[in-house]
Formats: sequence, C-alpha cells, structure tokens
Amino acid sequence: MCASVKYNIRGPALIPRMKTKHRIYYITLFSIVLLGLIATGMFQFWPHSIESSDDWGVEKRSVHDVPVVRLPADSPIPERGDLSCRMHTCFDVYRCGFNPKNKIKVYIYSLKKYVDDFGVPVSNTISREYNELLTAISDSDYYTDDINRACLFVPSIDVLNQNTLRIKETAQALAQLSRWDRGTNHLLFNMLPGSPPDYNTALDVPRDRALLAGGGFSTWTYRQGYDVSIPVYSPLSAEVDLPEKGPGPRRYFLLSSQMVLHPEYREDLDALQAKYGDSVLVLDKCTNLSEGVLSVRKRCHKHQVFDYPQVLQEATFCVVLRGARLGQAVLSDVLQAGCVPVVIADSYVLPFSEVLDWKRASVVVPEEKVSDMYSILQSIPQRQIEEMQRQAQWFWEAYFQSVKAIALATLQIINDRIYPYAAISYEEWNDPPAVKWSSVSNPLFLPLIPPQSQGFTAIVLTYDRVESLFRVITEVSKVPSLSKLLVVWNNQNKNPPEESLWPKIRVPLKVVKTAENKLSNRFFPYDEIETEAVLAIDDDIIMLTSDELQFGYEVWREFPDRLVGYPGRLHLWDHEMNKWKYESEWTNEVSMVLTGAAFYHKYFNYLYTYKMPGDIKNWVDAHMNCEDIAMNFLVANVTGKAVIKVTPRKKFKCPECTAIDGLSLDQTHMVERSECINKFASVFGTMPLKVVEHRADPVLYKDDFPEKLKSFPNIGSL
Amino acid sequence: MQSWKRKSLWLALSASWLLLILLGVSPLLRLAVPSRPLPGAPQGWPRWLDTELLLSFFQPGELPEDVPRPSRAPCGSGCNWAACFDTSQCRGGGLKVFVHPAPGPISETHRRILASIEGSRYHTFSPGEACLLLFLSLDAPAGEPSPVPLQWNGGKNHLVLSLHPAPRPKTFQLGQAMVAEASPTVDTFRPGFDVALPLLPEGHPFRGGAPGQLQQHSPHPRETLVALAEERGGWRTAGTDSSACPWDGRCEQDPGPEQTHPGVTLPNATFCLIPGHRSDALRFLQALQAGCIPVLLSPRWELPFSEVIDWTKAAIIADERLPLQVLAALQEMPPARVLALRQQTQFLWDAYFSSVEKIIHTTLETIQDRVFGASAHPSLMWNSPPGALLALPTFSTSPQDFPFYHLQQGSCLVGRFSALIWVGAEGQPPLKLIQAVAGSQHCAQILVLWSSERPLPPRGKWPETSVPLTVIEGHRKVSDRFFLHSAISTDAILSLDAHTSLSTSEVDFAFSVWQSFPERMVGFLTWSHFWDKARGSWGYTAERANEFSMVLTTAAFYHRYYHTLFTRSLPKALRSLADEAPTCVDVLMNFLVAAVTKLPPIKLPYGKQHQGASPPPASGSSGPKPQTPDLDCINLMAAEFGHMPLVSSRLRLDPVLFKDPVSVLRKKYRSLEKP
Repeated sequence: MCASVKYNIRGPALIPRMKTKHRIYYITLFSIVLLGLIATGMFQFWPHSIESSDDWGVEKRSVHDVPVVRLPADSPIPERGDLSCRMHTCFDVYRCGFNPKNKIKVYIYSLKKYVDDFGVPVSNTISREYNELLTAISDSDYYTDDINRACLFVPSIDVLNQNTLRIKETAQALAQLSRWDRGTNHLLFNMLPGSPPDYNTALDVPRDRALLAGGGFSTWTYRQGYDVSIPVYSPLSAEVDLPEKGPGPRRYFLLSSQMVLHPEYREDLDALQAKYGDSVLVLDKCTNLSEGVLSVRKRCHKHQVFDYPQVLQEATFCVVLRGARLGQAVLSDVLQAGCVPVVIADSYVLPFSEVLDWKRASVVVPEEKVSDMYSILQSIPQRQIEEMQRQAQWFWEAYFQSVKAIALATLQIINDRIYPYAAISYEEWNDPPAVKWSSVSNPLFLPLIPPQSQGFTAIVLTYDRVESLFRVITEVSKVPSLSKLLVVWNNQNKNPPEESLWPKIRVPLKVVKTAENKLSNRFFPYDEIETEAVLAIDDDIIMLTSDELQFGYEVWREFPDRLVGYPGRLHLWDHEMNKWKYESEWTNEVSMVLTGAAFYHKYFNYLYTYKMPGDIKNWVDAHMNCEDIAMNFLVANVTGKAVIKVTPRKKFKCPECTAIDGLSLDQTHMVERSECINKFASVFGTMPLKVVEHRADPVLYKDDFPEKLKSFPNIGSL
Repeated sequence: MQSWKRKSLWLALSASWLLLILLGVSPLLRLAVPSRPLPGAPQGWPRWLDTELLLSFFQPGELPEDVPRPSRAPCGSGCNWAACFDTSQCRGGGLKVFVHPAPGPISETHRRILASIEGSRYHTFSPGEACLLLFLSLDAPAGEPSPVPLQWNGGKNHLVLSLHPAPRPKTFQLGQAMVAEASPTVDTFRPGFDVALPLLPEGHPFRGGAPGQLQQHSPHPRETLVALAEERGGWRTAGTDSSACPWDGRCEQDPGPEQTHPGVTLPNATFCLIPGHRSDALRFLQALQAGCIPVLLSPRWELPFSEVIDWTKAAIIADERLPLQVLAALQEMPPARVLALRQQTQFLWDAYFSSVEKIIHTTLETIQDRVFGASAHPSLMWNSPPGALLALPTFSTSPQDFPFYHLQQGSCLVGRFSALIWVGAEGQPPLKLIQAVAGSQHCAQILVLWSSERPLPPRGKWPETSVPLTVIEGHRKVSDRFFLHSAISTDAILSLDAHTSLSTSEVDFAFSVWQSFPERMVGFLTWSHFWDKARGSWGYTAERANEFSMVLTTAAFYHRYYHTLFTRSLPKALRSLADEAPTCVDVLMNFLVAAVTKLPPIKLPYGKQHQGASPPPASGSSGPKPQTPDLDCINLMAAEFGHMPLVSSRLRLDPVLFKDPVSVLRKKYRSLEKP
C-alpha cells in the first residue's frame, strides 16, 4: 500500500523524463512477453507429440531393435511334452504362495530375437496377435515384473502358429529362458498346431512340463486339468462390426461357409442341400472375383456372391467342420453372428471346455453323421434354438472377440485351479448378463425342515421399558420350543437391572449391551445365537399367546427361508403420485410382515449386517425407522419369495390401550414408511416384495372340532 | 493519464510474466528432464513403435487344409465317445439297456441290481433293440475267469459296470467297451467315455438309503472347523491354528486341541480334509452324507459322475502342497459360500449317492445324456434340486418348463390353469362343477376324462362354457388321470372328480396359492399317514387331525410335469398297483411329489357346505379303509420307494381375512367362509 502510494507520487515525475529509447525498450519487452505467451499457449493446446502421461515409463522401441540371441546348434532341447502331467505333479504351486487377493502373478520374458549359428532367425519375432496377447496380460492384474514373485511365466517367443517357426530351434530358445527349469510353470499359447501332412493336434515344439494353451486339442493330446483349450482367434472379428441381430428364425436353417472342405464332406453337404432345398446353403470359394476384392470376405454359391461373415447372420445353424486341424477360426465367426455352431470334429476339445458349457451354445454331431445332421437339428425345439443363439453370441462377446478376452479367460482358468476356493462359478462363466440379472439364487435352497428339537432364540430389543420387558420375557418363556433368550440392551446411559431382578425362566437368558443405540442392533448376528431360528420381538409385545408363538415357529420350520410374522403389511403403487405407498389397512393381500415379532433364519442377520445394499443400513439407523421394511426387502430380494403371515393378528397393541383401528395411526408415520419403501426400491433397483393372498393358520383353525383336541387352541385375536 | 497508462502497462507485463511462468515451465521442464517411471511401478510389456506393422499370426493365403480325411481314431485304450460308440442303435425315446445274463451263480447285490434295471424305464429284453449293453462285473473277484459274453461284438456299445475299483474281467479284452468303476485313477480314466462311480462302503443300502445327516443349513457356531480323515480309518478334528500342516507327519509332535474319533462316526465339522490317495475315496462319500464339506487334497482319482456333476459347488479341490493357504482360505471363506456348499453336499448325496439303485440309474442317465446330445439334461438340472433323475429331459429341456427352477431362471409362471375332471363309474356329466370351474377367470380350458362304463353323453348334454371344453375317453383305469394328455396346454392342472363340489371362489384362491408353490400339490381334502407301532407298519387315515401329509387329487392343483413323472419314471410295478386299488392312486401321487420336493403338500380351507355333498374322500366307490389288508398300498409303496417320503404339515393356508371379525365386504374370498 505504502509503496504503491510512493510510486504513484514518484511516477508522474518519471514520465516526462522517459525518452523514446525507453519507450521502445518497453514495447519490445512487452511484445516479447506477448509472443512468449502465445507460443506457450500454442504449445499447451496444440496436439503435440509428447507422449500422453499413461505411456510414460513404457519403453518405446521397434521390435527390430530387440537384442539378438544366438543359439548354438548343440544347445539343449527340452523333453517332449509329458502326457501324464497334472497340476499336482508338474506344476510348482509353491511359487504361487499365499496371496490375499487369490490372484496368480504372471511374468513375461522380454522380447529377444533368436538366430541360429548362421544368423538365420528362428521365427518371426512376434505376430500382431501375440503382441496383443502379451499386452493384455501386462495390463491385467495378473502381471508382475518381478521374476522372483511370479507364479506363471509367459515366454515372449511366439508359437501361435507352428508353421511360422523352426521346431528344434524354438525348443532350444525355450530351454535357455532364465527360469525354464524343465518348463515348470511356463505357459505357451498356440492356436495353429501341427504341420503337414498329418497335423498333430498339439504344438510339436518339445516343451517338457510347460502348460499349453492350445487351439485344436483332441482328447488324445489334451491333458485334462492341465492344458487349456483355447479358441483359434479369427482376425476378421477385429475388422468387421456385425449389426446386432436378436435370436429367432432366420432365412437359412443350415449354412456351411468354410472354403476348404474335404471333398467327402462337401459331397455330404451338397446332398443335404439337394434334399432340403432352400433352407440349406453350402458356400464355397469364389472363383471369378474382380481384382481388389478380398477373397476372404466373399463366399459363393454357384454364381451368387455373398458377403462373409455377414451371411452367417442369415442362418440358424452354421457348420463348423474339421479341416486338417480340429480347431477352426470359423467357430469364432459363427458365434459372432449369433449362429448356432454345429461342430463336426470328432474328439475335438472345444475351447475353454473346462468351464464353458458348450451344450448350451452348440450342437456336436459325430463325423459319421454328417448326412443325418439336418434331422438331428430339426428335432431341437425352437425355444431351445433361440436360447442357444443367445448363448453363442454371449460366448463370443465374453471369451472369443479379442485376443485379450482369450488371454484373460485362460489365466482365469489357471487361477481357479490354483485358488479353487475363490474360483468363479459355473453360472458366472456361462450365464449371459440378462440371466445373471434376473435370476435369484436362494441362499437356503435345500428343502430341509429343521428338527423341532432345535428350537429358537428369542431376541428382545429393549431400551428402558424394564417392566414391559420382564413381562415379555415371562410370556415368551412359556413357549415350548424356546431354547434361549437374548436381551439386546440398547441404552448406553443406563445399566441393565441386576441379575437377581430378572424373571427366572427355564432357558438361558443372556443380556448383550450395545455400544450405540442403533436399530440395526436387533439384526446383528450375535455369537450367542446358536439356533437357526430367530424370533425378533419388541419389548412391548405381550399380546401374543404361547400357542401363537409356538405355531409361528412350526410354520417357520416349514418355510425356513422366509420371514414368518404376525401383522402383515402391503406395498401399493400410487398411480397419482407415481410412487410406492405403504398400506396398513386390513386388506386381502400381504407383502411384508412387521418384525416386532417375526421368525426368520439367523443367516439373514448376517446379510442385514454385512450385505445390505447401498446405504440402507445407515439410513435406517439415522432415521430410527423402517428396519423391518429393510429386512422384508432384503429377504424377498435374496430368496425371491413372499413372506408368510401367520394367524389372524392384524396389529400390535397393548391390551390397555384403547386405540381405534386406523384412526390411531399417525399420518406422518405412514408418510415416512412410504418414503422408506421408495428409497429402498431405488437402492435395490427393483421392487423385490411379493404380494400373496394367503396366511397360515393351524390345520383345524375355526373348524368345527373339539377345541381341546386342537394342537393350537389359543391362537389369539386380531 | 500517463500514470494510469504506466500502471496498466506494468500490470499487463507482470501478469504476462506470471502466465508465462505458470504455463511454460512445466512442459519445458518435462522436455528438459524426461521423467523416469516411479521405482517399483511395473515396466510392463513395451508398446512397440511398429505395432501397426506387425503381421498377423495367420495369413489368409495360408490354407493348407487340403488333406485326406483323418483316419478313424485308434481303439482300445484310445477310445472316445465319437469313435467307439454307435448311437445309430439308439432310436426312439430314451436309452434302452440290455443286461448280459451272468454266467454263474450270482450274488444278492447282483440279483437286486438286475431286478432294479428290469423294473426301470431303461430295460429291454432284446439285445438287438438295445442301445447299451450292460455287463455287470460285480462278483467276479480278480483273477477268476469270466467268459466273454455272447453278443460282445468287440465291446461296441458295451458298458462294463463294476462297483469296486477295477476288478475288470481279466480273460477278455475290453475292446471298445466303456468302463464304469469306482474311483478310477485320473491316469486311466477316459473323460467323456468312461463313467466314474463312487467308492461304496460295505453294505451300502440298495434302495432308498439314509437321507443326508445335516439337520440345519448353517454350521453351528461351536462346530469344529476342520476334520481330517486319518489313515487308520477315523477322523481327527483339529483347530486350524494348532498346526500348520495337519495332514503332514511333521506336525505330529504338536498335539494341540485335537481329538481322534475312532471308527467311522464323523465329527461335527464344517470341512472334512480328505487326502488324495485312492483308498480315501471312501471318506469322500462319508463326508458328503454328513454334510461336512469335502476338501480333497490333490485327488488322484476321478470324482464320481464328474461328467455331469459340478463338484465345485459341493467340494473344494485343493492342492495338498499348500496347507497354510488351504487352511487360511477355509477360515476366511464367506458364510454364503459355506452355506451353499453344505446344502449342495446334501442335495447330491440324496439325489445320486444314497443307494446303489440311484448310482446305477445315474450311470445310465449320464450315458443317455450323451446319446441325446442337444436334448440332454442342462447342467442346471443335474446340479440343483431335485436332480436329474427326477427332472426328465423328455418333458422339456428348458428349465423354465419345470416347476423347480423359476427363481434361478428369473422366469414367471403363466397365469392360467387347465381343469381335468375325471368321471368315474357314475357316468354323469358334472354340470355344476363345470360351471363353477369355468367361472374362474384363470381357467384356460376344461378337460373331461370319461372313464365310465356308460356311453359318452352327446354333445348337447354338455353345458355351454366360456372356455373350451374337451372330452377325452379314458381306458377305464384309475391311473388314466395322470397320463400325459397332450391337450393340456398350461403348467397348472386342477385335478377334479365328477362328484367334487367346489365354488369358483375356492378355485380362484387355490390357484393363487399354487402360484406361490408351483412344485407342491395344493388341495382341499387331506389324509395323514402314521407309524403303527402295534403292527410295525405304516398306516393312513382320512380322519381330521392336527396334521396331514397327503392331499387328495379329487380337488387339487399341481404342475403338469407330475403327469410326465408319473407316467415315465415310476416303476411298472407301482403303476399297476395303483390300477388295482383305486385309493392307491392318491397315495402314489403324493408319494411321488413328496419324493421330489421333500416337502409336505398344502392344504386349503374346505367349506363345510361341501362336506355332505362329497362322499368319503377317495376316488371310486371304496372309501378310505386304511388297514384293509388287500389295500395295503402305503406299505407296498414305502417298500418300493425304499423309504417313506411323505412329510407332515401342521398348517393350512387361509385367505388373509379368513373368518376375521371384519366386514364381509372387505373380504375377497368370502364364500369360503359360508357356514
């Protein structure tokens, strides 16, 4: 401030003294600065060639600059593959020690160029696909650059196609890898095995104990549980983007698109076409294509030209016949088109058959039955065909569409073998996303009626209504099947009454003091709960009769996966407000039960405490309301089943109160409960509650039958 | 003025400098000092400059595939399904099996297996008609010569079945025959061709068999975590933290809190560790029955029925070389997974392993699935209750057609039903009943099954209904009513007798209940079974009681699938039994459904107004005379099933406002309460 004032005072005195020289000086300075600014700005915003930051740290070289390694002619060759290898004999699992994430660590050897004594290269350095594959592994969670921590080693020696390499020298190159050790824990990827004339079904390069991820295994060469059968990648899928086409009937029932077929098979197929006419289409190479047209992308039938692979979308079933090799890239094209592959290759081990259920996506026809193929396919119901089309498309999207997908699926399979307790399930591998979303897997799926002798644990949540609590304890203790009583003391400011003051009951009584006054404490999976059945009961529920409670327990035994409660409630769709509404009127339907007194399986306590979706649990604790609605949502969502309301009981009220039904209900309470339903439905992403029109009563309830002969004569009132 | 100019000049100048420094320095710095990757960050696979120029592994021009058709696969030990099994012999519905007669005297087990196959749906007496020829190698102790059976045909389409490990007939070559043996070694087992059987203990029950021993879904909180199968035959329980390697001799010196359980009794444990030797396969079945999750340590034998059973859902196959890792993983396993594994052990035990008969049927079903190809059981049916022996693929291969898998499939039931009215001896069109049923908005069609001696009434005698009415002439057999009537188009069937009296409202309510329990029978009239101590046998009664275990098919909803199951899966003996004694049909249907669901049926309130109208609740003229000696069907069936499948229930499902003291106008199903 002061300085500027001074400057201002001094300034005017300076100006008259400013010479032209000075002015020029100032202007030059200013323009230099301006120029600098513009230059900087351009530099900042110009699309320039400095690498984007995520590339920093990754080397940028040409594949031709990699180090050259000379292999002496007499360098060691590995043994041939050992057919008896299994994970527990040939795989060194110690390298994959304990790992909290249950993920194997994969190391990739750096790229070298191998030449023989005469300097002639052993193979093409690396193919586009193998480079993609190694990039995918390197970008995945499996990758490690620490060779000492690695569990699996992937050589950078490209053996995808056996035709492009020299077998003996490639084997020598493998053998000199720094951690080769007879190939233990090494993984090789090969898609095109064998060579003319007899085409072996597995890579011919001697590889000792190395695992082979191979395309085109036969049952004779495939080491079950050790090797991994992978698809033959079709480079076409990277080029062609097929329009989406849903399942359903298509123009051709059966189509064959392979260009190279054994004449005998082609005869068989032609015969089918002759027999069944237009519904069968057998395509072949085009002979007279004009210049510049890619012959791979065209197929012909007589003089008619079809675009490939688009034509595959016109067919329901597509033939995948073996060629010289068992594995055919056409399988990938066919799946992409949502055409159901008809695999005719005896003894072929289908890709990822260890985990994928090919019965759901393909039809396997023995080679001998090519001529019966049509009638075999015709016997498949239309609905199953559509299911297969959907499944085929899903397999392609998940496991075939890129080299990356193939690489990651392979590593996942090996990972699952090493960490079986964290393995991916059949459903996760095979169910398309639509099924995964809509299906419910009940955690208590076994139809099992627990023995009555087990009894139930009553959990009473209480704050400070000691008198009422003691009455509840006394009442509940009269129920024959009660095996333990747990009082959850939710009041941190007050200690529970002394032990001598508690009612003396015939079953063990435990008091658990909580750390915080939270509603969710009622649903905590306490270690003290030893029975499977839990009765949650409020400390003011004294109107339930012993018969009523005992009957409730008996009903739970028949429906152990459901919430079994007394007063029922309903959710309704409010068309005016366009949202859900809570309903406590006495209607003909039920979709929830109050947990003021309800039986349920103790597993739901675990789910409520640890697996409640979203913020529902905290939300309930903060609002001190709707914990029962949350529990109803949770159970219905995980089991897909409705609650069971037992006995005519409609409300919980103390006998002393004289409340008139309906009118006593607080309007704001109802609004809050409706809000809960809307909130929970949005968190769950769906409305899981199921509406039913029935309740459970004892078999002879209100029947004309001597009361004293009834098992549950005193079933209570509304 | 000048001062203002100067000031602004200065200001602009300094601002520009500031901007220049801010913007310019960092990229300049970056240019000057190339930043190194952080130490420790993975280097990764290099991004090659010439990635775009790399060639594909497979050049389109390279199509070398013009080769001779590959020779047929080698035979003998190198057999596989496509090469060594001729499916062209398997025509028509289902697998037909011929059993080679045994050359000499046969053992009791052998005889019973033969009898069981002969009574089953698979059997044929003619080897020419058979698709699979079965050679039972049960009794022949190793070394004793057993002659080559007739029609051996090099073993083509043959299955050599042996319940013991590998005492294969020594004197003749297996040729192309498949082998089904107990716990085969992984090295000789031919996947997709041979069948792996479980290793059975002595005296494994032939039929029925003990149910799983698990009493509760989730483990008891005080239950031991791990039990280890010992070489001497017992089980040893050990805390997971007591020793690092409980199956390794090295840890013997650390006794810890362990206990040895001699004999075969299994301790209460959540996981059972089973070493991988072939002799330990016996323990596997033991653990499975006990609901103790088997943890197999690098098993050297093929798991039973591994072709169809997804063992990862019921067991853990771990590496014996990583004890610490396995134990840590078991300790940390989420409760949801433990719960699922435990339940799956019980389901698998009960569905496929609890008796010799089930094991044989599972073997045949596995091979039938290979023959069926695309119309075989989907994996879901094998691996979720009630299991593949009770879910027939001949009914449908889409799981949503069955009553069991709606939740897993996320599919819905169609909201209509078909009424099937059985007209017995009296031969009167049940006009009132037809009207009542047709009045239901959910009714899709009415089928009348005319099983009377009297002639069919003419078209005009039948009432006009809003839904299609079809009259089918039956064969005057009681079991007719459960045959597959192709005319039935809905999942739900309402089975009725001509003399049943029901109101529309009751039909509507019953259907709404059935939609919640599509796998069960939902009915109005009930019977209950009991164990008669004095006679030492089962009995049943129609008397009203506090519990029940059967509902009568004179008025009951059930799923259409049970007709298929009744016709296709029941042994012939049972079906003829039902025809001889009409009351037995109801018992049989209830047995069947209970054996599938393991749950009781559901009872609904039945108005008193009907009680007089309906004769004693049995089809035909004879009332339920439980203990009449000639109608002792319940005991015959219990023997045929091998156990008593019926389950009792103590509840009835009523409408929500049933008989409540509220206004009748509120009630949807008020007519159910008529006095």
